Amino acid sequence: MGFWENIQHIDRRWIYLLVAIAVFFPMIVVMHFPIEITPEARQLYEAIDALPNGSVVMLTFDYYPSAMAETQPMSIAALRHMFSKDMKVLTLSNIPLGGPSIAERVTREIALEYDKVYGIDFVNLGYKANYVAVMHGLASSIESIFPSDYSGTPLRDLPMMKHVKNYRDIEFIFVVADNATVDYWISIVNAQYGKPVGSGVTAVVAPKMYSFVDAGQMTGLLGGMKGAAEYERMVDISGSAIRGMDAQSLVHLLVIFFVIVGNLGFFMSRGKDGR
Amino acid sequence: MGESLSFVQHFEIWLRAYLILSLFSFLYRDNVFYKLSEHIFAGLSAGYYVGLIWQTVIIQQLVNPMVDNGHWWLVFPGILGVLMFTRLIPKWSWVSRVSLAFVIGNTAGIYIISSLHGLIFPQVASTILSLDTGNGFAGTLLALLVVVGVISTLIYFYFSKEHTGLLGATARVGIWFIMIAFGAHFGYTVMGRISLLIGRAEFLYYEWGGSLSQIF
Repeated sequence: MGFWENIQHIDRRWIYLLVAIAVFFPMIVVMHFPIEITPEARQLYEAIDALPNGSVVMLTFDYYPSAMAETQPMSIAALRHMFSKDMKVLTLSNIPLGGPSIAERVTREIALEYDKVYGIDFVNLGYKANYVAVMHGLASSIESIFPSDYSGTPLRDLPMMKHVKNYRDIEFIFVVADNATVDYWISIVNAQYGKPVGSGVTAVVAPKMYSFVDAGQMTGLLGGMKGAAEYERMVDISGSAIRGMDAQSLVHLLVIFFVIVGNLGFFMSRGKDGR
Repeated sequence: MGESLSFVQHFEIWLRAYLILSLFSFLYRDNVFYKLSEHIFAGLSAGYYVGLIWQTVIIQQLVNPMVDNGHWWLVFPGILGVLMFTRLIPKWSWVSRVSLAFVIGNTAGIYIISSLHGLIFPQVASTILSLDTGNGFAGTLLALLVVVGVISTLIYFYFSKEHTGLLGATARVGIWFIMIAFGAHFGYTVMGRISLLIGRAEFLYYEWGGSLSQIF
């Protein structure tokens, strides 16, 4: 059996090993692949940057822990951007597993760096089931949907919430999601209540979102780890997304190599068989 | 990882590392460590979800408003919720249809409006583009491409007439657009899956590696 036939029957575990090497190698030898800023990412950054200092913004953590590698850097970069402009940040999650606790941990960590105080500068509403009902309900009264915050403190006891009653008091909604909730932020909150919505989503969700950006329904988009790295670059921080993009680029080159070799092997083998 | 970790932090990191490596071990072959981790995940998720719904929905949205604020009418949605459990009793399972009818009717009403108003109309409007986009020849070409792509793809999904002649040719153009869309989705999916791997690899290298270096 020749080289090209062997390639057709290679044990897939060798491929896993090569991918693993390509992922770990840039952690040892930093490579600094270039990161270009896309117009969609810049649009999102500029929309938030254009808000007056002290504006109230909503940041959602609509993602499971499994998607943290892509989405958590977006949340962190967004929080740094918002806190650096003294914005009041209202967080919530439409995902039961992970989202609410990630929001609590990440927001408090970043808030410490900017001397922000819970209840005055930021509030975590936590999770409530049935996101369609939640999105509609927030339009009339946040307190009717979330009587208390993530820790069980009644909203009426939080100074920030005395001035934030519904969507009318919120300037911008930044949805960070790994699933279809972002569709409903667009079709319900943007379309029916007129709130500007920008999003950072996992790469799997991203292709569908471009049509919303093109239609003007979405104000900017971050797609996957690349989008997170772009936002980190614009906020001027060196986060885990920028760090991860070296491995991402290297594995992409490896996958392209596999596709070329696999196809070459297929055609060379076919030629020998006379098929 | 510069700061010294406590015993609990070390334990947490090692537990996470054990679970990650157990799950990755499936790439070599199925084994008992993988199965155990998978079952722990399924059990933990179910337990956490039940607890969360009990606290955030049953207690906060049903019990507290009735007891503290006298919103007694919430007993009706409460009863509808309880009726869903009749599905567990074959003889009485038909009763759950009352609750289901309410949910289906309510959901249909909400979704029809949001789909039409929020998705279909704006998306159709953004497809009807002026050829004079102000972006020169490239803009006009892209506007035409969008129209051709939308129409040919819609025709591919028109099954009331055999795809022959002009209809068949247009449908074949639609296949090209669908394939390009699938390619874009697949490329993004590959990127997403690799990102997940990178996330776990970074944890193992930086956090678990940091813990290892402190211990040894």
